[in-house]
Amino acid sequence: MNRKLMALACTMLVLGGLAAGGYVTWEIWAVGINQGYAPEQPIDFSHKLHAGENEVPCLYCHSGAERSRHAGIPAVNVCMNCHSVLERETRGIQNFKEAVAQGRPIEWVKIHNLPDFVYFNHSQHVRAGGVACQECHGPVEELDLMRQEAPLTMGWCLDCHRSGGMSDLASDYNAHREKNENVAVSGLDCGNCHY
Amino acid sequence: MSTREERVYWQCLEERRADPSYLADTSGELYEPPDPDRVTRRGFLGRVGFGLAVAASGCTRAPVERAIPFLSQPEEMTPGVSAFYATTCDACPASCGILAKVRDGRPIKIDVNAESPLGGACAMGQASVLSIYDEGRLKGPLWQGQETAWDDVDRAIRQRLEAGAKAGGKLALLTGTITSPSTRELIGRFLDRFPESRHVVYDPISLSTLRRASAICFGRDVLPRFRFDRAELIVSLDADFLGSWISPSEFAKAYAAGRRIPSRPAAGHGHGHDDGHGQEDEHVGANGHAVAESEPVAMSRHIQFESCLSMTGTNADTRIPVSPSEISATAFALLDDLLERSGQERLGAGIPASLERSRLEETAEELWRKRGRSLVVCGDNDLAAQAAVAAINSLLGNVGRTLDLENPSNLMQGDEGEMAVLIEEMMRGEVGALLIHGVNPAYDWPRAEDFVEGMGNVALTVSFADRLDETASLAHAVCPDHHFLESWGDAQPSDDFYGLRQPALRPLFATRSFQESLQIWQGQAPDHLGYLQDYWRRHVFKRLPSERWAQAGDEERSFRSFWDRALHDGFFQAPPRPSSEQALVSGWRLPIEARIRDAGQGRPGAGLELRLYEKSGMRDGRHANNPWLQELPDPVTKVVWDNYAAVAPALAADLDLRQEDVVRLTDGQRALELPVYIQPGQAPSCVSVALGYGRRKAGKAGNGVGANAFPLADFRKGTESSEEGTEVSGKGTVLFRSAGWRLEKTGRRYPLAATQTHHRLDGRPIVREATLSEFEDDPGAGAHGVTHELHNLWAEHEKGRHSWGMAIDLTACLGCSSCLIACQAENNVPVVGKEEVRLKREMHWIRIDRYFSGPEENPQTVHQPMMCQHCDLAPCETVCPVLATVHSSDGLNQQVYNRCIGTRYCANNCPYKVRRFNWFQYSRNDRFDYYMNDDLGTMVLNPDVVVRSRGVMEKCSMCVQRIQEGKLTAKVQKRPLRDGDIQTACQQACPSGAIAFGDLLNRESHVARQNRDARFFHVLEEIGTRPGVGYLTKIRNKGKGIESHG
Repeated sequence: MNRKLMALACTMLVLGGLAAGGYVTWEIWAVGINQGYAPEQPIDFSHKLHAGENEVPCLYCHSGAERSRHAGIPAVNVCMNCHSVLERETRGIQNFKEAVAQGRPIEWVKIHNLPDFVYFNHSQHVRAGGVACQECHGPVEELDLMRQEAPLTMGWCLDCHRSGGMSDLASDYNAHREKNENVAVSGLDCGNCHY
Repeated sequence: MSTREERVYWQCLEERRADPSYLADTSGELYEPPDPDRVTRRGFLGRVGFGLAVAASGCTRAPVERAIPFLSQPEEMTPGVSAFYATTCDACPASCGILAKVRDGRPIKIDVNAESPLGGACAMGQASVLSIYDEGRLKGPLWQGQETAWDDVDRAIRQRLEAGAKAGGKLALLTGTITSPSTRELIGRFLDRFPESRHVVYDPISLSTLRRASAICFGRDVLPRFRFDRAELIVSLDADFLGSWISPSEFAKAYAAGRRIPSRPAAGHGHGHDDGHGQEDEHVGANGHAVAESEPVAMSRHIQFESCLSMTGTNADTRIPVSPSEISATAFALLDDLLERSGQERLGAGIPASLERSRLEETAEELWRKRGRSLVVCGDNDLAAQAAVAAINSLLGNVGRTLDLENPSNLMQGDEGEMAVLIEEMMRGEVGALLIHGVNPAYDWPRAEDFVEGMGNVALTVSFADRLDETASLAHAVCPDHHFLESWGDAQPSDDFYGLRQPALRPLFATRSFQESLQIWQGQAPDHLGYLQDYWRRHVFKRLPSERWAQAGDEERSFRSFWDRALHDGFFQAPPRPSSEQALVSGWRLPIEARIRDAGQGRPGAGLELRLYEKSGMRDGRHANNPWLQELPDPVTKVVWDNYAAVAPALAADLDLRQEDVVRLTDGQRALELPVYIQPGQAPSCVSVALGYGRRKAGKAGNGVGANAFPLADFRKGTESSEEGTEVSGKGTVLFRSAGWRLEKTGRRYPLAATQTHHRLDGRPIVREATLSEFEDDPGAGAHGVTHELHNLWAEHEKGRHSWGMAIDLTACLGCSSCLIACQAENNVPVVGKEEVRLKREMHWIRIDRYFSGPEENPQTVHQPMMCQHCDLAPCETVCPVLATVHSSDGLNQQVYNRCIGTRYCANNCPYKVRRFNWFQYSRNDRFDYYMNDDLGTMVLNPDVVVRSRGVMEKCSMCVQRIQEGKLTAKVQKRPLRDGDIQTACQQACPSGAIAFGDLLNRESHVARQNRDARFFHVLEEIGTRPGVGYLTKIRNKGKGIESHG
């Protein structure tokens, strides 16, 4: 009887230990992965309204995505291009017009954070690679509250880089070379991103 | 293959003499001092357990980060994209053309403006970007040491200026050399408002006698512009013109241009072996002998007479050690010889004791043969020597060819005689107001105590210094000027060249430009830019021929486009005035004859001679608080963070001195304690000490580093008694050499930190060199004559689209170390401090190795930049247990910081010793309080390169961030990458174009052609690493028909 109890207790203990260990491993594995992160923003800005219903192109506001490593958050004067002539006023719009009037910058909460040891360049993907914004950012035009769609892990990056995700827009770049089977269209060298 | 005997190279005397303690110190990879706080295994495990527990309990989400966009984004700025502004450097008066790389509103790097004829950026110029973000800068004006508003300071200063003028007190404006023509005009207008006023120009390290000698010999009170590129023979008498003399960056560029070795294809497989970069099908049928019969190589020859081994001396084809006092005698003897050859009356000068007659005659003979194609320069601030050199150049017909009096230089305007007069007046209390801009005489005037005393007698002293330096801390008011990257301005370093300066960022602090301060104090509205434009309209624009106007007949519109163009380019090159020969005017012999007469009367020559010199990084010490420059290894000694008394090996043996013994250097009145550095090549009776150290009030990095040698300089009054009078000799000069010194041992020792003596050569041949005639006989000369059969255990790497490679021409490399600072700025390389350097832990990704060969008394030197060689078969890659260092498809050896666990196996296995380990967290660590420890200093960091953390290995990445950027630009523009699109930071900074970088798969690229050159070799190629970085043999022009003396 006692022995049975002991065996049961031992089994429970081992299983519990394994479960706890597994949980800890899972948690540690997920440290720094912020998929689904959708923080409250200082202004209730809706991508669904802007990019979805009103069909404002992504690059109208995030023009840096074509030219820079940062897609950038639009400067308030970009917002005012439209809002200075639009009559509709909501609390969010009032909030941000107030900020403009006071010369107070808007402190958005940054959603997509890459570690310092990774170099990522938007124009590389958008301009040279021809990757659509939604491929990484998801259906932004359907979102009221912006969230991080992708896990932004290295494995996730490489899934795309390995499958030759980029179109062959770089063919002019390679025009003077003979076709080289060794060359992946997307970079797979560590030094393409880590420096 | 040449069969000459193998040259033996050594890095330092200890290595040459196989000093047992040196051999022990260098036997390992790292220096392991006994550590009293040694961590035991048990203690370590305990701490690990505690650390894990803390880490596990602290697993929370990353902190919330904010993203704050502009309210209104400036049109010309995209966050994350660098803008380049052409501007003019003001780190020293040489006024080189630079590009300020500005990222998100802050300058992060200084690049050479390659389009400017005066484009260049020496180590000091490169490092000046860090000085903007110096915590030691003043944040606003001070009155009596208290922070005050500008209005209050202005009111107080104007009141006192006007009161002083009414009372008849003298007003003096004391500045360094000002090459800005508009500022000079503004100063003139300012001083016109005050009756008893004058402008005194003071250069701490002066060359006033050069200007005076021009006046005496040619009747032209100008500083000649030297054209080293046009000279086939350069004879320098103690002038360090590549490192610190007048305009070193400009001279280095010109010097290198005159010493290009033409490309000669490798002769099949005869030299070395196939390097795997596709040279196997190259130049079938081409052989060394066919090339040898072609045109002779046009390479200038350089002879250097000097007392201490300077960077310029290390590059000389022939170097002759001469004691400092004999520099003038050497000039007289050369002049005497040339006078005889030209059939003129001789001087009757003797030959200096330390010089053999044959050497002098050879030099004179060579000069005579190269009449009109040679150039003689002298670095001694001695009127008689400079007059003799001017006469030599005139006799040789060099004036109007290799030195230009019609388009003279505007540098070195200082007159220390005037300075001495001013100080006397100050001490007598005759000066009512003293305004001090850009100079620090309380630190660098030889008798600083006189100046300090004099300042106490002046009713109003105003300094424009950017910090509370030795002088500013004594002034009543400090009105800090902008950093030059924050200000408008112009410069006219030579008569036909105008540089324009534009701000690259808004002033960080409440500073104000010197020019606006002067405008306000004369009751005008402050508008420096307006004044500058007006000056350019009135003067500079007038030098643009009207046929080159943008709008014929419309002056205003033509000026606007002229201004815009100059602003874009950063300079305006005016049509130079035609240069002509200049005969000697009568009376030129006077100072020389007076000196020879004096010498005949016997002079007190007992004891040692002292030579005070400038280091190419620290110069006169004005940038002493720049930690990059403090940790820049001296090009010759490789010592960092110190100055020292350099003595010849023979003298050290005589006096029983060891390296790092502290000695008292004294002449009876003055004394300075310094550690000894035993310097091969030093003139035997000469002790040399670098100026620019021992600052007391420079800031946290510069205070108390080394010892101040300025008090050892000699101010000599002009000799008014002799018939030449003050008109000729001036009111006095500062001499940076003197005699009658002795060294006393103190019994103490003081450790020096040097970067190169960390490893041993063990007789391995690292560099290759040959003489020009050997090269002409066989372009592959200098190879070691051994062909190695190389085996390979590993699979070959498959090449992708590119194969990045580098070739460094050792003939062109001067050792100036501009590349090192460029690399440091580009790649966020930390400063580690003297103690860490002593422990072999410096972090520089590129080092300039300096190898001596030959006798200790006068060795030959080779400089070799050494960084990661990006081996195809890299020994580091095979030993990394976590694949943190791997090969890329385009030939780079990559270091992946986030994978690295810090085993350091790679560094151990690297044959080139170029890997650097982060022993500490160098950023945000109070122990390394240089610049990465405060918010201001970190603004200089390059956001494209990560700041490495503790415990990871790092090394040269071949500026992979620049490679990626260049590739992306080409892809965006839908075109193939062109050779030259991508430049590494070191390559961009090199004044002599020694570094070629590019794609080895592009057979037409510069670097691929260099790889096929007969002079091309890999370091340690016998170990089969197949580096991507190669070198080209150093060629020395030993001259024809003249025995080489080493």
